[in-house]
Amino acid sequence: MRRAGILLLFALILSACGGGGGGTSTTPAGTPKTGGTLKIAQETEINTLDPNTSGLLVEREIYYNLYDSLLGIDAKLNFIPELATAWKYTDDKTLVMTLRKDVKFQDGTAFNADAVKFNLDRYMTSTDPAAARKSDLGSVQSVEVQDPATVVIHLKRADATLLAAFVDRAGMMLSPTALQQLGSKVAQTPLQAGSGPFEFVEWKRDDHLTLKRNPDYWRKDKAGHQLPYLDQIIYRPLIDLNAILASLKTADVDMARTVAGKDVDAVRSDSTLVYKATPSLGYQGFELNVSAPPFNDPAKAKAVALAVDRAQILKNVILNNGVVSYGPITPASWAYDPSEKIYDKPDPDKAKATATGFSFTLKTANTQDSIQTGQLIQAQLAKAGITVNLLPEDFGKLTLETRVQHQFDAALTGWSGRIDPDGNMYAFWHTGGSFNDGRYSNTQVDQLLEQARATTDQAKRKQIYQDAQKVVAADAVYVFVYDPVVAQISTKKVQNFTLIPDGINRLAEVWKS
Amino acid sequence: MVEYITRRLGLMVPTAFLVTVAVFLLIHLTPGDPATVILAESYTPEAGAKIHQDLGLDKPLPQQYLLYVGRLFHGDLGRSVRNKLPVTQAIGERLSATLELGFAALIWSLLIAIPLGTIAALRRGRALDVVASGLTVAGISVPNFVLGILLILFFGLLLRVLPVGGFVALGESVPDNLSRLIMPAIALGTFGTASNMRFTRSSMIEVLNQDYIRTARAKGAGWWQVVNRHALKNALIPVVTIVGLQVGAILEGALVTETVFGWPGVGKLAVESIFSKDFPVVQGIVLLSALSFMFANLVVDLVYAWLDPRISYS
Repeated sequence: MRRAGILLLFALILSACGGGGGGTSTTPAGTPKTGGTLKIAQETEINTLDPNTSGLLVEREIYYNLYDSLLGIDAKLNFIPELATAWKYTDDKTLVMTLRKDVKFQDGTAFNADAVKFNLDRYMTSTDPAAARKSDLGSVQSVEVQDPATVVIHLKRADATLLAAFVDRAGMMLSPTALQQLGSKVAQTPLQAGSGPFEFVEWKRDDHLTLKRNPDYWRKDKAGHQLPYLDQIIYRPLIDLNAILASLKTADVDMARTVAGKDVDAVRSDSTLVYKATPSLGYQGFELNVSAPPFNDPAKAKAVALAVDRAQILKNVILNNGVVSYGPITPASWAYDPSEKIYDKPDPDKAKATATGFSFTLKTANTQDSIQTGQLIQAQLAKAGITVNLLPEDFGKLTLETRVQHQFDAALTGWSGRIDPDGNMYAFWHTGGSFNDGRYSNTQVDQLLEQARATTDQAKRKQIYQDAQKVVAADAVYVFVYDPVVAQISTKKVQNFTLIPDGINRLAEVWKS
Repeated sequence: MVEYITRRLGLMVPTAFLVTVAVFLLIHLTPGDPATVILAESYTPEAGAKIHQDLGLDKPLPQQYLLYVGRLFHGDLGRSVRNKLPVTQAIGERLSATLELGFAALIWSLLIAIPLGTIAALRRGRALDVVASGLTVAGISVPNFVLGILLILFFGLLLRVLPVGGFVALGESVPDNLSRLIMPAIALGTFGTASNMRFTRSSMIEVLNQDYIRTARAKGAGWWQVVNRHALKNALIPVVTIVGLQVGAILEGALVTETVFGWPGVGKLAVESIFSKDFPVVQGIVLLSALSFMFANLVVDLVYAWLDPRISYS
């Protein structure tokens, strides 16, 4: 309650003193300047510096500047070379990767095929209860070192999603020497463990985490200058969104990923700040439990989907900082289908004709945005004669009741999104999927999702995902509401920053004027 | 005296025991599951069950409690669920920041409260007294987080003379440390300032009306000497009680102030641990907070005897 009070009051104060002047959403070009410290606000503190046990977005943010992955992505989510210069499926179950020969970890250990095998084996055989990479690499049978610059990954089954996993934490390479010396300390103090643009210096929990320039980083800019440009990065966890905004305004931090939705317009018009946004890979909406009444009746699920006014929620909850969502594949993805607009406009009459006069409980997280969304849905469905009982809950309890116990009628949940469409669909709507809270089961969807995993041709995969998405959206097992944007807010001093839809700041080429 | 201290220390054991039971039950009654925090988006029922097993959460509650108390006797407060650090280390790393803030707040409160309270008592009913009393009402009424936000708004965002938050260790840079300390110390200390001033004032008025003050004056002692040597020392006894309790409550006040200012102390750790269901850390902090309160009480009682020789413990 007190915290809510703080937020509210601060919100009023900050909105009262919002700056004027013309805003800009582009970063001015110029000659890169070497040196300087970049201070970044993170909206939560991280738990670990070991990619093996990582589960948070804010952790990936730091890892991408500390460790290199086998593959990278560009702003359009195309795979680009990173530690691997080339990759090729020689058959459905064999992936051959050619590695860079000029990379050394920060402790001097050479990066080569042995290091790749060491890292992937560590992820796959970890006994840590929080080990999270095992499932990412679930399709990998074994890793073979062909020569120092070639590694062959043998698969148990065809898996087109593996390349995307290699962009993320499952593809992050740490020095085998450092891992052996550090043991479990790698989660706290990964000294010289990476090969990335920056090295770990210190982590004072809940206060700051400092990285310094890696002078031997292997990448150079287009003009041949050594990267990175910055001397130092300091991450500061600031859990209060209003504190983040205050720190940006006073240049106490240079950059942040998020401010409160209500402040976005003020930030855009603040002449001292730069606001950049791009469609994200994630979506927001609510899932329906189709394994129990009332939604084991497909007509009732469809009636709900027909009656929801997505545009109204988008406008009122996140002030149009996103787009209406029609399915799990967002405009940021290569598999996006702009023609799929089922349940585009609310149609309470058609909803009434489909099913009416029933009630259900909508569980939401105990946050302002979630409760507000729930209230709007409640009012919208009332027009179709459907009664919604709102039940805000602690997030942990909500997760327990949906994911473990499947005890819910409907629950407001979202997903941050993954680079590969599989990460936005398979676990949620494949029969028995680990995130299939509503126990949806549709043979056609199962077949399509499996087929997409076994197909390496991207054009074919795109079509398969679009077909699967149509079925999932039409069945209204999940009512898609909006796709938020990913944003980056910085002071004008921050230059040459590229915003990628995965929302992670990569800072090797960023400099400060 | 030694017997008294021993008895008081002995009484702390059952109190601390009750605190552990209350905290343990409260935390386990709150909804939520640390496994969802640890695993976040990687959460699956299987992975969650593994975490429960690892943390011992799959055992019955009484057994969990006995294991906890058993470890307590060995000085082991457990390990943080969030980052696996020993709780003693997690709290220890933050204690210096909280103590620095707490004592700065206390110094701020005493430097203002005692002189102002004394003057208000001496000028009772006059303009200065009315203004000072008005200020104390304001100081007591405004919650520290509201004051903190107003300070940030005024000195941080409008005048831009002080940083809006964060922390720089004393060892790194003294000016940076102090500039970040000023606002949270004022925000945290102002409530104490107001109440200390009220106590100083009323106690001083009471003492000034005593016979021995009149006697001292009659014997020819100067007004200032009477105030300083005879009245103030006696008037401060109730203030000592309040200040002692304020020392014990430093952690409590720090919860909100540290969060508003991003001051990385035990209070901020407590708030973050509550949000992330890091129950071993929350238990550790509450236990520490209760113990510091009990010790502060004991110290206050002992200081009484020093201030007022008529009080003796046996």
